[in-house]
Amino acid sequence: MAQTDTMPSSVAQDEVSVLMFLLAGRQFAVELNWVQHILDYQAPTKTPRRPPFVEGIMQHKGRFLPVVSLRKRLGVEGPAAVHPAILLLTGIAQDSVVGLMVDQVLRVLSLPVEKVLTPPPRMLGIRAEFIRGVANAGGRPVVWLDEAKLFTSEEPITLLA
Amino acid sequence: MRPLTPTKQRTRGKAEGPAAREKFLLFRVGDETYGVGLRGLRQVLLPDGLTALPAPAYQACAALTYRGRRLPVIRMRALFEGSPAEIPATARVLLTQGQGRALGLLVDEVLEMAEVDPARIAPVPALATLLDPACFRGLYGRQDRIILLVNEDGLTRLDEVVQFYAGGS
Repeated sequence: MAQTDTMPSSVAQDEVSVLMFLLAGRQFAVELNWVQHILDYQAPTKTPRRPPFVEGIMQHKGRFLPVVSLRKRLGVEGPAAVHPAILLLTGIAQDSVVGLMVDQVLRVLSLPVEKVLTPPPRMLGIRAEFIRGVANAGGRPVVWLDEAKLFTSEEPITLLA
Repeated sequence: MRPLTPTKQRTRGKAEGPAAREKFLLFRVGDETYGVGLRGLRQVLLPDGLTALPAPAYQACAALTYRGRRLPVIRMRALFEGSPAEIPATARVLLTQGQGRALGLLVDEVLEMAEVDPARIAPVPALATLLDPACFRGLYGRQDRIILLVNEDGLTRLDEVVQFYAGGS
C-alpha cells in the first residue's frame, strides 16, 4: 500500500494527535485517527493456524475482529502485562477493524509536526520502515509506529531488550 | 375487502415468517468449539480402524474403511494445531460430504447441536488464520464464545484430500 494511502489528513496539519502506550517499558504511539475504541483486555477465542502474532478473535458490538499482540509482533518475550489493553484500530488492514494488544495505555499526545523526527535506520532495534516518526514526551522517546505495516508486512520486527 | 391472491399470500407469509435457521453439530478440537453443517452429515463413528497414510505426503489426512469404501479422514487437531496429538477416548469421526464426496472429520469430542440464523454468520477475519479461508463457512458468537463453522466443500479441496481421491493414497 502506498504511504499516501495510509497517511491521514492530520499529518498535513500543524499538529498530529497520537495515542501513547507502553510496551515492554518503552513508549510507543499510533495515530489517534485510527483508534476507534480502547478496551480492557479480554481473552480472545483462539483460531486455528493463526499467524504467530495473532492472539485470536474477539467480538465487539456484534463485529468479529482479529486481535494482534504487539508484544509478539515485536518479538518481545517475558511475562505479559498485568493490565493490558486492546486498541481497536479501524481502516488500516484487510480486516475493517483490528485489535492491537498493548501493555498499558498512557495518554493522548498532540505533537507539533515539526517536532516529529525522521527515525534513524533502526530505533530500539526496529527498522525505520516500520516507524512513522520519533518524538519526545517527558524527556523520553516515543516511537510512532507505522500502523498499516504492523499488520500488512510479513517481515519480522524485533524490539531490542 | 378483496381477498389476497395466493401469490400475495405466499409473499406476505414469507416476509413475516421466521428466518430459516441452519442446524450445526458442534464439536471440540483442542480447547475450542467448532461446528459443521448437519445437512451433509451422514454418520458419527468411533475412530476404530482409522489408518495412517504415508508421510510426508499426508500430515493431516488418514483413511477409514466404511461399508467397504476407503474414505479420507481429516484429523482436525493436526490440521488446526499442527500437532499429531493422540486420539482421546471421546474422539469421533464425523462422516460428512463435500463437493459430493464422502469426507470424515476426526474431532476430539462431539458436543451438541445448535441452530443458527444464517444472517448471524459472519466471515472469518483475514488475519485470524493462515488456513485457506475456503475451509470455513464463517463464524458466529454465542454468549461468551465464538464458534467457527467449517466448510466441508473447502475441506474437500485441501491438497491431501484431493491427492487421496486422485489415487495417491
